[in-house]
Amino acid sequence: MDTLVLNVSHISKSIKKKEIIKDISFQLRKGEVLGFLGPNGAGKSTTLRMLVGLSRPSAGTISICGHSIRDDYVKAMAHVGCIIEGPDLYDYMSGYKNLELLGSMSKHVTQAAIDQAVTLVGMENRIHDKVRIYSMGMKQRIGLAQALIHKPDLLILDEPTNGLDPQGIHEFREIVKSLAKDTGISVLISSHLISEVQLMCDRVCIINNGMIVQDGTVTDMLSTGEIVWVLNDPIKGQKILSENFNLASLLNEHNELIAAIDLKVLPQINATFITAGLELHTVYAKNKTLEDLFLSVTNQRTIQ
Amino acid sequence: MLILIRNEVTKLLLKKKLILIIGLLIIFITLLSYGQQYTYEKNIDRFENFSGAGTYDWKSLATQRLNDLENRLDSPYIPDSGIASTEIEIRQLRYFIENDINPITPSAVKFSVDFVEQGISLLIPLIIVILAADLVSGEFSTGTIKVLLTRAVPRWKILLSKLIALILMTTLVVLIIGILSVLISYLFFRQWGFNEPVATGFSLIDGQLNADSVILVTRFQYSLLIYSLTWYVSIVIAAITLLISILVENTATAIGVLMAALIGGQFLQFFLSDWAIVKFFFVTNLDLTRYLTGSYQPIGGMSLNFSIITLGLWGLLSLMIGFMVFNRKDVLV
Amino acid sequence: MIKKIWPLILLLSSALILVFVTGLITAIAITNGGEKSQEEIPAPPENIQTEPSSAAKNILVLGDSIGYGVGDEPDMGIGKRYAALIDSEETIEVTNLSVSGATSADLAALVEAPENEAFIAAADLIIISIGGNDLTGIQSEDVLSLDMAFQETFNTYQKNLDATLNRIRNLNPEAQIALIGLNNPYSELDVQNSQNLLEWNYKTGLIAAAGLKTAYIPTYDQFKDHLETYLAADQFHPSSIGYQVIAEELDRVLNGID
Ligand SMILES: Nc1ncnc2c1ncn2[C@@H]1O[C@H](COP(=O)(O)OP(=O)(O)OP(=O)(O)O)[C@@H](O)[C@H]1O
Ligand SMILES: [Mg+2]
Repeated sequence: MDTLVLNVSHISKSIKKKEIIKDISFQLRKGEVLGFLGPNGAGKSTTLRMLVGLSRPSAGTISICGHSIRDDYVKAMAHVGCIIEGPDLYDYMSGYKNLELLGSMSKHVTQAAIDQAVTLVGMENRIHDKVRIYSMGMKQRIGLAQALIHKPDLLILDEPTNGLDPQGIHEFREIVKSLAKDTGISVLISSHLISEVQLMCDRVCIINNGMIVQDGTVTDMLSTGEIVWVLNDPIKGQKILSENFNLASLLNEHNELIAAIDLKVLPQINATFITAGLELHTVYAKNKTLEDLFLSVTNQRTIQ
Repeated sequence: MLILIRNEVTKLLLKKKLILIIGLLIIFITLLSYGQQYTYEKNIDRFENFSGAGTYDWKSLATQRLNDLENRLDSPYIPDSGIASTEIEIRQLRYFIENDINPITPSAVKFSVDFVEQGISLLIPLIIVILAADLVSGEFSTGTIKVLLTRAVPRWKILLSKLIALILMTTLVVLIIGILSVLISYLFFRQWGFNEPVATGFSLIDGQLNADSVILVTRFQYSLLIYSLTWYVSIVIAAITLLISILVENTATAIGVLMAALIGGQFLQFFLSDWAIVKFFFVTNLDLTRYLTGSYQPIGGMSLNFSIITLGLWGLLSLMIGFMVFNRKDVLV
Repeated sequence: MIKKIWPLILLLSSALILVFVTGLITAIAITNGGEKSQEEIPAPPENIQTEPSSAAKNILVLGDSIGYGVGDEPDMGIGKRYAALIDSEETIEVTNLSVSGATSADLAALVEAPENEAFIAAADLIIISIGGNDLTGIQSEDVLSLDMAFQETFNTYQKNLDATLNRIRNLNPEAQIALIGLNNPYSELDVQNSQNLLEWNYKTGLIAAAGLKTAYIPTYDQFKDHLETYLAADQFHPSSIGYQVIAEELDRVLNGID
């Protein structure tokens, strides 16, 4: 149980009589990177706001490292660092002053910790400039630093790569990955960028219309259990499959043979194909793209 | 907690509010001192032309008055109630004659008292509004409320630190008003006037001015009293501004609401002074300093005590509502 | 930078808050002081005779320094001089409640005071000298506003005088009242003042004419050409001779020439 960094159970939220979040539950383990995927208006930010105590769920409980956010707010929040919808900083101060000020609100934030965070996000050169003149990406970087200075166990990031250049996105991804691996920090990232989530996350929650419609590891979610053979004579292959292995199969538009099989029998099937004199060009496992999955589960055209 | 307060003070200072306020004050005070100096010189000119003798002899007039008053004290028939105020007038006149100061000469301290007496119901509240209106709403409109409220600090502590920082800064602003008005007006008048005697302590009993407890204090002590009242008013305005700032999430709206309240309140007082409920409105009670000079009773039943208590209740109520709302508010920006 | 001045701000503000709170409490205490002492001392002043004497004829003098007799020999004044003039066999008791420097407002307050009721009720003749101090109040106003100030001052004066006369009539319907007119110690200096003074006297005369048993005693013309002798050393109050002149004028108006 103590590896459960975040436990969200059955939370709902209504704003102005409109139910925006409907009975969401999920958990996050130590060192895990969870992607929170959903179309615009799905309720990602609304959910994350409740996780960090900015708004109260109408029902349900949230606990962080075993502390209920409602009853034990201070202890729970001590474990959290976050960026919610954009890096909002005091623009009349320098980046450093911002970090100092926010750091002073947590216990034990040292000068060294601040400097370390600044180096991590690569802002050492501009840190003493006023935030007012920062570019969006620079603000995002300071935003990330501000979420890290107090060494939280849980990092909650709402669309953290907005405004970052490709280089920045790559760096950001590396930072998050290495944080999760080296310091065991758990990360919850909301995004509507599929590739980003796919590259960064161990697990994905897909949320649509305020409900979680998919929750699982990326590999599990994408695998279809189907194998694709590229053969010189796919019709013959199809025949072999049905006669020798009693398997239904079909041909796709490229004349490739596709069948859902138990992977244990794959070597046997391949051997049978070869002995039957077929030329086996390629064999691969058919995966859904995350995009397919995303579009299929969030099948909607208008924002609700 | 001290660190939180320091952070809030830092924010207030870095927003350069104070510089704006000081700039405004310098402009106002300079204009007003110049105006007062100008009027004074005009008056002296008129007196001189009028008396024809070339010089305006305030001293003989004052001496004449002093003799009269002294004779009056000697009278065995003078009613007791008159003695105190006569004695005070005599002492005031003596001071001016002995120090060779024309009582109508403007002095720096006198100006500074006049300035807050005039400003206490509008200018000073507005300055406090400038200082305080974006304290919470500003954090909402820039979104920084999110980084502020996602620290391991309970919300009430954050608001309390804002409140204390605001009280500290309001106090400083009152000091700055005092210092600036004394220094700038001194440049014009060349007269400090710290020791001038001032009569205070009037009270209104059954609609009659009562001078029994009138005492004579130096202008400096008097200005301390006036500034204390100004400070109290400022703190109450700060508390009310803080509430509005919490309620509206937008600085411009906050300033608008408060301006409307302040100016509308004056109208209310002007047009509806017969309507008893008007006296419970905070704007009606801002003019605390007038009670010290005695002649003031804007609406029947009002007194310094009444106004101080009414303002205090407004302040406390604002803070209570403010803390309640802030504590349970959903941050959806 | 701010870290360095922060302790200063904290200290300064805290100290100031203490000062201001003290000031606030003091201000409240001062303003409330009046009500307490009001409750404590409503007792009548000791230096006033508590009972009017039961002499056959009582003269009461009310008003300002001229009523009081400033400039005259000690213990004289209009009342005493008049008493000596009418040379009656009856004993005449003169009470003087005049207050140096009194204005019409002071007089109105004085006749309202309960401790003075008995004197007013017992008087057969009430001599009133008032208005001079109201008028000196506007002496220093500039020319432009002088007229307006004069009007305003006169209106206040009239109101107070009416109130005074009403009060006296309420307490004592029988007594003869004599209003002493103003003389003009500044006569040579400026015309404007003299005009105002004449107007003042004229209007006061009208008030007197409107009241029952109320006489107006002119002094302006009597004094005009004899300021040297009729005025005391201060060039403002009447001299002994001046008081005698007023008393004789009073006799002439009230009793005619024998
Ligand atoms: N203050 C509010 N009042 C009413 N409805 C709101 C409020 N804030 C959000 N909503 C509604 O809640 C729903 C979810 O909004 P949310 O911001 O959580 O979406 P999101 O998943 O973060 O979208 P995006 O990808 O665009 O950031 C939307 O339908 C939105 O209209
Ligand atoms: Mg969002």
